[in-house]
Amino acid sequence: MKQLKALVLALIACLPLMVASCIGVGQAAGGWSGPTVQDGIIYVASRDGGVVAVNSSNGDVLWFYAMVTTSGGGLSCGPTSAPTAIYATPIADGDLVYVATYNGQVLALSTLARRQNLTFPQQRYGEWEWNCPLDGAKSNAIVADLLVSADTIYLSSSNGRVYSLDKEFGDLNWESEILDEVHRKLWTSPVIQGDTLYVSTFDGDIYALSAETGELLDWSFQSEAGFASSPVVYGNTLFLGSFDLYLHAIEIGSSASMWRFPEEEPAGSWFWASPIVNEGIVYAACLDGRLYAIEAETGEELWEFDSESPIVASPVLMDNLLTVIDESGTVHVFDISTEFGNEAEPLKAISIGASVRSSFYAQDGLVYARGEDNWLYVVDIDRGAVSWTFDLNEEEE
Amino acid sequence: MNPWDIAIANPVLNVLVALSHTLGGSFGFAIIVLTVIVRLITWPLNKRQLRSTKAMQEMQPKIQELQKKYGKNQQKLQQEMMKLYKEAGVNPLGCLWPMLVQFPIWIALYQSIIRALATTPENLLDLAQRLYSWDIVNQAIPLSSQFLGLDLAGQGNIILAIVVGGTMWVQQKMTQAPAVDPRQASTSRIMLLMMPLMFGFLCLSFPAGLGLYWAVSNIIGIVTQYFVTGGWGYLKFQSPFQRAPSQGK
Repeated sequence: MKQLKALVLALIACLPLMVASCIGVGQAAGGWSGPTVQDGIIYVASRDGGVVAVNSSNGDVLWFYAMVTTSGGGLSCGPTSAPTAIYATPIADGDLVYVATYNGQVLALSTLARRQNLTFPQQRYGEWEWNCPLDGAKSNAIVADLLVSADTIYLSSSNGRVYSLDKEFGDLNWESEILDEVHRKLWTSPVIQGDTLYVSTFDGDIYALSAETGELLDWSFQSEAGFASSPVVYGNTLFLGSFDLYLHAIEIGSSASMWRFPEEEPAGSWFWASPIVNEGIVYAACLDGRLYAIEAETGEELWEFDSESPIVASPVLMDNLLTVIDESGTVHVFDISTEFGNEAEPLKAISIGASVRSSFYAQDGLVYARGEDNWLYVVDIDRGAVSWTFDLNEEEE
Repeated sequence: MNPWDIAIANPVLNVLVALSHTLGGSFGFAIIVLTVIVRLITWPLNKRQLRSTKAMQEMQPKIQELQKKYGKNQQKLQQEMMKLYKEAGVNPLGCLWPMLVQFPIWIALYQSIIRALATTPENLLDLAQRLYSWDIVNQAIPLSSQFLGLDLAGQGNIILAIVVGGTMWVQQKMTQAPAVDPRQASTSRIMLLMMPLMFGFLCLSFPAGLGLYWAVSNIIGIVTQYFVTGGWGYLKFQSPFQRAPSQGK
């Protein structure tokens, strides 16, 4: 009897721990999806798993769609519903908005159906949903941005495979082999050139796949360190950041790096964001807070700028204005048309007053960014100030 | 970054990642080696605790005698026992120090496992801010969470929980002297079950990497205890649910 009493007492003692293990289930989802703009409408995913369409001229909400996932809960918890995290930036294409979620779903949301607040999916409006299989992996999360071509959507999954979906119906065209054997995490986006997809992995490989069939092509590249960023293709060269603290330029078909940057001492941190390339110059942002302009052909540094805060999102080019937002929320604007070496001095530095990790959108002198505080910020570069803001938290309430 | 991260959490994290790279990319072996290192660092404290345990074991007949003699006068019993401890140069609370010293390491290790294995994109991004710019560290990232079929970042591994609970029970049982007073015996039995059950449950709720640390730490503890105290102590291979015969009546 005493032993039974002891057991009961021990279990009672463990009860708070069991309850504690349930805390956290059902809390805010997170994610760093950025905004996108099409035909005067801003589409942005909130940190609580909602997709919001906002009129860019007056800030009116046109529609809101919340994505919720149901899980089995923890060891001692029952089934719970929780918002779905969204890392990939929505892609607007015609009347459809494509959204990929951390629980492995890809959704085609019709702007027409969502405005009427109809149940999802409305097939007559072209809506569909695709669920990524777990495939023996721990997760099927979609973290990287979708790659949308004329009739196909390509995506990387945390189960280690790349998938091709029919854009119109969401049917699976093909799935690749497991490309990331060790980590089973493909958190980088594929990039396409012609009929070939290039995919970088945490294992340190770059694979070339047939965009038509998903079969591995002859060429692949292997590095000692894993790749931190998605590749960018320019001409016949791939540019991407590695966990070894260098940015690499890899000629397609070659087995060795064309160059790595910095030439000697490594950078202060990872080149997490994909670089952009314009007129033979690579603009690469680093988590050490620096923005580098590098000669694409030689890897020679042209200039650098220290923002003093990690830069998580890729730079964006808007005409001759290069824009970066650092994690502290300062928008730095550079005029890259300047010929005589003062590109490294930003024209403007505009603080939005919130941390930014998400990718951002720049168009017509306006920068659209989602802060980690779950607000949407629209920055007017000419005025050098935040033009208007939108509280995404309010939409979920 | 706060002083805790700079002084404890980040060094533990970087040592773990560097060890992982040195050991062929195995984060599990890195945890085991770190456990051995922690055990070596805390060895002076452990040694004192084990010697204290051995002395307590040797004092048991005298303690039981006192319990029989002053069983009805708890205050007098406490006084006499403290006197006995003092004469033998034993601190009955001395066994707490090695555990207290390990608490910050447990917390740092828990944080390090979560951060190093970077199960979420945010974890991986935050990791960049915490790693030293050593080649050995950066070439190891990202780490694989698989070790001998165990997902070190995963929760709810029942086998590991049983191993942690079981080894903890054995370690405690080796040192826990049978009490003469039935009430004390009952409390002792509760304590003997409580800690292994609690850690077993914690093991289910925390990443398996931390459970691996506890299991290895317990096994090292059992081995060192065996050699320092010269045997299995009070461990008798009987079911903890089996009713022990009442003593002292």
